[in-house]
Amino acid sequence: MHRNILRATLIVPLASIALVTGATAQSFKRPAPTPADWAAIAKLPDFTGVWEVQMGGGAPAARSIINPAVGVPSMRPTALSLTAEYDKKRQELMAHAEQDNQSANCLPPGMPGIMAQPYPMEFLFTPGQVTIVIEAYSMVRHIYADGRPLPSDPDPTFFGTSVGHWEGDTLVVKSVGFSTQTEIEPHVPHSDKMEILEKFRLLDPNTMSIETAVTDPEALKEPYVTSRILRRHRSWTIAEYVCEQNNRNYVDRNGKAGINLTPPAAAETLAPKQ
Amino acid sequence: MNQTPKNAFLRTAMLAALCLAEAGLSPAHHGFAVFDTSAQKIITGTVKEFQWTNPHTWVWLDVPNDKGGVDAWGFEGMSPNFLGRRGWTRKSLQPGDKITVTYFGLKDGSKGGAFLSFKRPNGEELSMWKGSPTEDN
Repeated sequence: MHRNILRATLIVPLASIALVTGATAQSFKRPAPTPADWAAIAKLPDFTGVWEVQMGGGAPAARSIINPAVGVPSMRPTALSLTAEYDKKRQELMAHAEQDNQSANCLPPGMPGIMAQPYPMEFLFTPGQVTIVIEAYSMVRHIYADGRPLPSDPDPTFFGTSVGHWEGDTLVVKSVGFSTQTEIEPHVPHSDKMEILEKFRLLDPNTMSIETAVTDPEALKEPYVTSRILRRHRSWTIAEYVCEQNNRNYVDRNGKAGINLTPPAAAETLAPKQ
Repeated sequence: MNQTPKNAFLRTAMLAALCLAEAGLSPAHHGFAVFDTSAQKIITGTVKEFQWTNPHTWVWLDVPNDKGGVDAWGFEGMSPNFLGRRGWTRKSLQPGDKITVTYFGLKDGSKGGAFLSFKRPNGEELSMWKGSPTEDN
C-alpha cells in the first residue's frame, strides 16, 4: 500500500516532466567543450570583470565614442518614434495617474531597461556562451553563442532569448520573445514582436560600448537606437541586491506611488510613545 | 544666486539626476513621484538607526518636537551597493550621531523624505552623490 502510493506519486510527476520537456523547443544540445574551445576564448576581446555604465560628464571614456581614432558608432542613436497606436497606449498609461512603475514593487525592469541601471554588471565567457551577471535586482542574462538558432515561438520572458556571434571584435546579440510586462523606456510599451539587437565592443582596454537597437513592427516606426559607455573596475565585485530586503516603496494597482514610513522594529521600540 | 551650501546640495542632486537621464539610465528602483523635488529641506536630529539595506538605505532620525518629545523621521537613501563604491560604509552613521540632514520632503507632508546629504556639528559632510567612483582598471 505504502509502496504503491510512493510509486504513484513518483510516476505522475515524472510523466508530466517528460511531456513538458518533449513539448518545448529546447532541442539544441551543446557538445561538451574541448580544450580547443577553452583556448579559443583566450583569443576573444577581454570583457572579463565588472563594468559600470557611465553617468555622463566629461570623462575621457564619454568622449571616446566620438573620437574616430578610437571608434565611431556603428549605429547612430535615434529618437523614439512610436506608431500612432502605441503613442496612444503610452498616453493612456501616463493619463491613468501613473506615477511610478512596477519596479517600485521590486519587479525587475527586464529588457532593455535592465541594461541601463546605475549598477555594474560582470561578463563571463565560457565555451559557447556569454553570461552577464547584473547587480541590479541580482539578475542574469544568458547569451548563447554556440550556433543555435533563435526560437521560432519563444515563451515571452523579461529578458527574452538571446543568441550571439562575433563579427570581428564585436559581440552581436539578437534577442526575441519578450513579455509585454517590460517597457522600451519607462511608460513606453511594446508588442510581443519586439526584437533587440545589441553590439558589444571595447573602445579601449577598459571602455566598453553597448549599442542597442530595438525594433517592433507594431510599436515603432523605426528602430530605436541607444548607445552607452561602460568603464571597467578591476577591484569591484558584484554585490547582492535583494530588492525585497527592505523595500518601502510601492505602487498600488492604479499606479499610484507610495512609501512606507513605519520605523524598523528596533527604532520603534526605542522611540518614546507620543 | 545665493551660493549657500543648501543650493550646492540641491545642484548636486539635480546634476546627478540629469547625468542619469543624459546617460539614458533608468532610476534604479523607482521614480521620484512621492517626493517634492522643487526644494530641498534641512532638519537636525539624532540617528536612531542606519539601515544599510537594499533597495535603499534608510536613516531613522529622532527629531525634537514642540511637545518636548521626539518624532521619528525616515529618510530614504541610495543603495549600499551604490554608496559603498563612493566612500560610504554601513558605519558612516551610528546610533546617537547628531546630524543635520538635507533632503527632499514628501508631497503628503509625512515625516520623511529622500536623503541627499548630512553634516555633523564638526562640519564634516557626506553626500549621496559624489560623482563617479575612483578609476581602478
